[in-house]
Amino acid sequence: MPSEYEHIIRIRGLVNRFGTQTVHDQLELDVRRDEILGVVGGSGTGKSVLLRSILGLHGPNEGSIEVLGQTIRHLEPGPHKRWGVLFQGGALLSGLTVQENVELPIALHSDLPVETRRELAVLKIFMVGLDLTAAAKYPNELSGGMRKRASLARALALEPKVLFLDEPTAGLDPISATEFDRLLKYLHANLDLTIVMITHDVDTLFSVCDRVAVLVNKGIIVDTLDELVKHPDPWIQEYFGDPRAVRARKAANAKVEI
Amino acid sequence: MDNFVTLHKRNGLLEISLRGNWVFTNVAVLQEALDEIVPEPGTEVHFACGGIDDFDLAGAWVLFEKSLDFEDIEIKTEFKGFKASHFKFLQHIIDIAAQKEYVPGYFDPKPNHWVQDGVRKVGSNTIDAVDSVGYIARSVLDGIKRPSRLVIGEIIRQVFATGTQAIPIVMVVCFLMGVVLAFQSARQLEQFGANIFMVDLVANSIFRELGVLLAAIMVAGRSGSAFAAALGTMKLTEEIDALRVLGLNPNEVLIIPRVIGLMIALPLLTVFANIAGLLGGAFIGAVVLDINWFAFTERLAGAVQVSDVMVGLSKAPVFAFLIAVTGTLRGMQVSGSAEELGRLTTVAVVQSIFLIIVADSIFTVLYSRIGF
Repeated sequence: MPSEYEHIIRIRGLVNRFGTQTVHDQLELDVRRDEILGVVGGSGTGKSVLLRSILGLHGPNEGSIEVLGQTIRHLEPGPHKRWGVLFQGGALLSGLTVQENVELPIALHSDLPVETRRELAVLKIFMVGLDLTAAAKYPNELSGGMRKRASLARALALEPKVLFLDEPTAGLDPISATEFDRLLKYLHANLDLTIVMITHDVDTLFSVCDRVAVLVNKGIIVDTLDELVKHPDPWIQEYFGDPRAVRARKAANAKVEI
Repeated sequence: MDNFVTLHKRNGLLEISLRGNWVFTNVAVLQEALDEIVPEPGTEVHFACGGIDDFDLAGAWVLFEKSLDFEDIEIKTEFKGFKASHFKFLQHIIDIAAQKEYVPGYFDPKPNHWVQDGVRKVGSNTIDAVDSVGYIARSVLDGIKRPSRLVIGEIIRQVFATGTQAIPIVMVVCFLMGVVLAFQSARQLEQFGANIFMVDLVANSIFRELGVLLAAIMVAGRSGSAFAAALGTMKLTEEIDALRVLGLNPNEVLIIPRVIGLMIALPLLTVFANIAGLLGGAFIGAVVLDINWFAFTERLAGAVQVSDVMVGLSKAPVFAFLIAVTGTLRGMQVSGSAEELGRLTTVAVVQSIFLIIVADSIFTVLYSRIGF
C-alpha cells in the first residue's frame, strides 16, 4: 500500500508539565516503519506520559503528535483500527473471557458474522501461543505471563500497523520473558508491524530492539544500541555500564555470532 | 466482487486470480467473493496470488479456509505466485490449524440449572452469613475481654464517617418526612375538626418507626455500599492478603471497627432524625395549620412517652448491625473482577434495606404483643 506518511509516529515540540515540574521539553521523535523501538529512562522521566500522549490519553501542554499520518488529539478517536496497545497490567476486561476480550475489538470495528469473528479471535489466541482452554478462562484465572499473551492477542486483533507495549516483560520470570521476546520477534518478522515498547528489561532491549530512545534531560536521544553505548551522557553511561546491561549485551552479541 | 477475484477455466483446471487488499477490513467481502466460486467436481483449483497488494493474517485465513472447503469436496488446490512474505502468513495459518484440536461443544452455550444454582446459592449465602455473624460475635466478645485488641481509633473514624457526616442528609430527609406526615394527617383530621391530633400522629410515627427507619435506609445507601466497595477493592488489590501476611486479622482490623462504629453511630443519628422529623411537623403546624410552636410542644408532651422514643432507638443498633454485616460480608466476597465488585455492592445495599424492613416488621409485631 502506498504510504501517505513518512514516519509511523512523528512528534514535534512536545511539552508536558505537571504543576511547576516539566517532564518533556520540546521533545521530538520519529519512529520509522517496521522498526522495533525501545523506550528507556529513569523513573520520573515521563516514559508513561510519553506513551499516554501518543495514545491520546494525556493532553500535552504543547506540541503535535501524528500516528500513521493522523494527528492525535486528547481523548478524541485516534487510528483505533490500525494500532494495538498492550498495557502493563494487561488491562483485559475482567468480566469477559479471553476469547470475548479478543473478539471485542473485532465486533466493534467490523460487521463480520459471529462465526468469522470467533474464528479470527481463536486464530489470534493461537498465534500468541495460548490454547482453547485458556481462551475460555477469565483474566483472573490466568497467570501473569498468560495474561500478557492474551492482552497481546487483543492488541493484534485488528491487524494493527503499530503496536505499543508498556513493559511487556515486567513481572514475568526469565523463561516467560525470553519466550515473550521470541514471540515479539516472530510477530515482527511475519507481520508488517512497527513496535514501540517501554521496557526496563535490558535483555529485551538488546535482543529485540532495532533502536532505543532514551529519555534524558526532558528530551530524548534515539540511536542504535551500538551507538548509544558510546554516548557521553552520564545517565546513559551509567545505564549501559551497569553489570546487568553489560551481561545482556554480551549475551546478545554472542547469539549473533552463533 | 470482481475487484478481488477473476476466474479462468481451462480443461479441468480452474485458475483463480486474486487481486487487491486481502486484509482484515475486507474479510466480509472476500468471503463473499470466494463463496460464489463453485468449481465442478474433479477440477483442480489454482490460486494465483501474484496480484495481491496487501495481505494480512485475516486475509490469509480466508484463503486457507476456502482451500480447506475445496479439499472437503475432493478438489485439489494449489497456491501459486506468492511473494515470500505472503507465503509466511499462509504457512503460519497452516501451522496453527495443525495444532488446533477440535473441542466439541466448545462454543455451545452452557446449560442453565436454575433451581439447582438457586438452591446452592441460598445455601452458601446462609452459611457465609452465619459464619460471618459468628466470627464477628466472637471478635466482639474477645474485644470486650481485652479492649486493647479493639482498634479504637478506627472505630472513632467510622463513627465520624458513617454518623457525623450523614447528619445533614438524614436530617433533611426526616424534616421532609415530618412535613409530609403533618400534611397528610391534617387533611384527614380536618374532617373532624381535630387538627391538633396531627401532633400525636407525627410524633408517634416519627419516634416509633420512621425516624430510625429513614436513618437506617439512608445509612444503608451511604455506608453499606461504602463498606462493600472499600473492602471489595481492597480484596481486588490484594490489600486484604497483605494484612493477613503482616499478621493482622482483616476481620479484626477492617470489619469489627465498621460494625461497632456503625452500631454507635446509627442510634445517635436516629436522635437527630427524630428531632428533624418533629421540626418538620411543627413547621407545617405553625405555618399552615394554625398550631403554633407552644401548642405543638404542649400537645407533644401528652402524646408521647419515653417508651415510644425507646422503641425507636432500640431498633437502631440492630439495624446498624445488619447494615454493617451485610456490607462487609459482601465486600469480602468480591473476587476477580471489577464487575463482581459492582454487583456485590448493589447486593449489599438491596439486601441490607430488605433486612432492615424485615427486622422492623418483626420488632413491630413483637412490641405490640408485649404491649411496649
